Amino acid sequence: MTTIRNHDQPQAGYKNLPADKACGHTTHIDTLLHSNPNLWRGVDMAGQGCHGHSTGFPQLDNILPGRGWPHKGLMEIITPHWGMGELQLLIPLMRSIVEQGQWILWISPPYLLYAPALIQAGINTDQVLLVKLDTSCKDALWSMEKALQTENCGLVLAWQNWLPNKVLRRLQLAADVGNTLGVLFKHHDSEHSPSLMRLKIGDSLPSEGQFNESEVTLIKARGNFRPLTARVNFYQQT
Amino acid sequence: MEDPDSTAQLPLPSLPDNSTARVIRLHPRGGAKSLGNAATTAKDAGSDHCRSDQQTTNRQTASKRNCLWYALYFPQLGELNKPQQEKYLHELAGLVQSVSSTVSFHPLTLICEIRSSLKYFAGIDVIHNKLKQQLGAQLSAWDLANDFLYAASPTVTASLLLARSGRNTLVYQKENLRSALGKLPTEVLDLDKEQRRRLYNMGVRHLSDIWRLPGDGLRKRFGSNFVNQLNKALGKVPEPTRNYLPPPAFATSCELPYELENLDRLLPLADEMLAQLCDFLRRRDLATSHLLFSLSHERRSSTKIELGLRQASRSQEHLMLLLETRFSNLTIPAPVSTIKVEAKNFDAFSGHSDSLLITGKPATRRYNDSKLSQFIEQLQSRLGEHHVKRVNNLAEHCPEYASQQFNLNSLNDAEKNKPVTTEQAASNPRPFWLLQDPVQLTLRKGKLYHRKTISLVSGPERIETYWWSGSNIRRDYYVAREANGSRLWIYREKGVEKNWYLHGFFA
Repeated sequence: MTTIRNHDQPQAGYKNLPADKACGHTTHIDTLLHSNPNLWRGVDMAGQGCHGHSTGFPQLDNILPGRGWPHKGLMEIITPHWGMGELQLLIPLMRSIVEQGQWILWISPPYLLYAPALIQAGINTDQVLLVKLDTSCKDALWSMEKALQTENCGLVLAWQNWLPNKVLRRLQLAADVGNTLGVLFKHHDSEHSPSLMRLKIGDSLPSEGQFNESEVTLIKARGNFRPLTARVNFYQQT
Repeated sequence: MEDPDSTAQLPLPSLPDNSTARVIRLHPRGGAKSLGNAATTAKDAGSDHCRSDQQTTNRQTASKRNCLWYALYFPQLGELNKPQQEKYLHELAGLVQSVSSTVSFHPLTLICEIRSSLKYFAGIDVIHNKLKQQLGAQLSAWDLANDFLYAASPTVTASLLLARSGRNTLVYQKENLRSALGKLPTEVLDLDKEQRRRLYNMGVRHLSDIWRLPGDGLRKRFGSNFVNQLNKALGKVPEPTRNYLPPPAFATSCELPYELENLDRLLPLADEMLAQLCDFLRRRDLATSHLLFSLSHERRSSTKIELGLRQASRSQEHLMLLLETRFSNLTIPAPVSTIKVEAKNFDAFSGHSDSLLITGKPATRRYNDSKLSQFIEQLQSRLGEHHVKRVNNLAEHCPEYASQQFNLNSLNDAEKNKPVTTEQAASNPRPFWLLQDPVQLTLRKGKLYHRKTISLVSGPERIETYWWSGSNIRRDYYVAREANGSRLWIYREKGVEKNWYLHGFFA
């Protein structure tokens, strides 16, 4: 990855350019730097660029590189139990994907997916496809890989625990190929995972005043160097 | 069989004497002028149809001149409704095909050309007996009377009229048609009530009475359809017919020179067979949506592989991809000795053309459906059709029934349910996850408990339904919060027991 020193000394990085030109176009360089998501700058972590899908939760946007969900790649969302607010977190993303005319594939969700909730969240059920829970793990992973490689599936959600890093890397590569976003829901964090991003939703705080807010920890994200934590209220509507 | 045809008592009519003239007439097809001239020379003296604007007409009547149309009339089908009649006639036409390649449909009647098969079957009686046996068996299988009325003559309409009259007549020569038809009552004609009444009042009882009337007067009084019908019967005007086309069928098989255990080595062979299939489909402008592969083994029942497609296709690559996906997780009980491909459903091919110009921005463009459906088919062929589902919202008060999962292929059923489905969901919050069987919650020290203690957030929402079906549902639903932060959808029964249940997670 390329590291460029911060813009307080722009001439140092661009010696070949005439000095006056480089000075006058600092802002241009800034915009240029911001526009490229692959460029990593060591300083000013979360402030760089706004190239992600906004999550719809400002507190979360602040800690994510690119101020939102990435456009492609594999994300892991780790929760101690199913149903900790992980789907609420993705509602704005799902809505925007459906509006783009892409499909959402749900691979072996742990409970019955309830259509009225999808309608309430503004997600068209015609663009939702389910692979049932009783599919074998091998088949589920096969479908996930194929779905990630297919461009029409905008979002692939899968519920799988205990996947080896080799499998995760394969899924991550498939998502890169197909330009799709895959989300894996799991109970346990695996270190050194090759996925693009790992989020953990923790127990909400016991103190009564803060009860509505859950703690979301960004364990790892490409373009980030230390875990960050945000408090998000998933149920703003209610 | 009663035969009014005095000149043609011969059982096997050879080419008539005027055949040389006919051959001359058909030969110079290219030159319109010479055709007209030839037609004039060959035409019967009494005919007044030799104007040059009717050249095509003449050519057609000329080519059909030597035909013998055998009509089979099934009055017993008249009691059935229209679609069933059509279905039965189609099946009977399939049987009639055993004696003739040209079978056409008429109301309650099938008409086939048998002049060309007379020699092969050695006479019309053999043909008749053969048909009587086959059709009789089929008709009695449908619980219908197993006989039919029949007639044969050189024109389609004449055969139809003769068969309707029930006299089982055989006319070989066109010249004798007039006298043979003359004996028929006017009831056999296709007439409306008014025309029938008028004919009756004119004292016309038989077709011979009509022969005596002037042609232009008839046209004025009864319309051109009426006169056309008579002219068709006499062979003066062409008779276009709707012919029976057998339904398309494709089956091919290949015996392997030696038994193969490895499915991958079958793929090139299957590819070749699919190429044949796609070629067949292209020629007929069809596409298939259901394929059946069967791999036969020695001393074992054969392995059947069914490929169902969401959208009919004739793309060899796509079919091959689906087959490869199926082969990848297929285990065969024994080495394969024969491979067979059969196409079961055929649909009209609907091509997809890309537009030359890019329409709309990529973000707002609807994604091309064909790629997606290919992907879905691949999923189905690997996982099995029942494992890939869609969800649907139903206008249903009871929470368990408000969401429905259905197979992709039963899309038509879903369309049927369309009036029930709504885009409008309940106004109160609904959870993403619903538990199939609600879990009973425990009460500890006056507090609800699931994994952690639960406190109520909002509610109640009362749902009372299904009191008419015995399973009385009376519940008060609440949105609740567990101490670890997850939102639950819980309810309390309103009955005697007043237990608390967990029904869903808002997730």
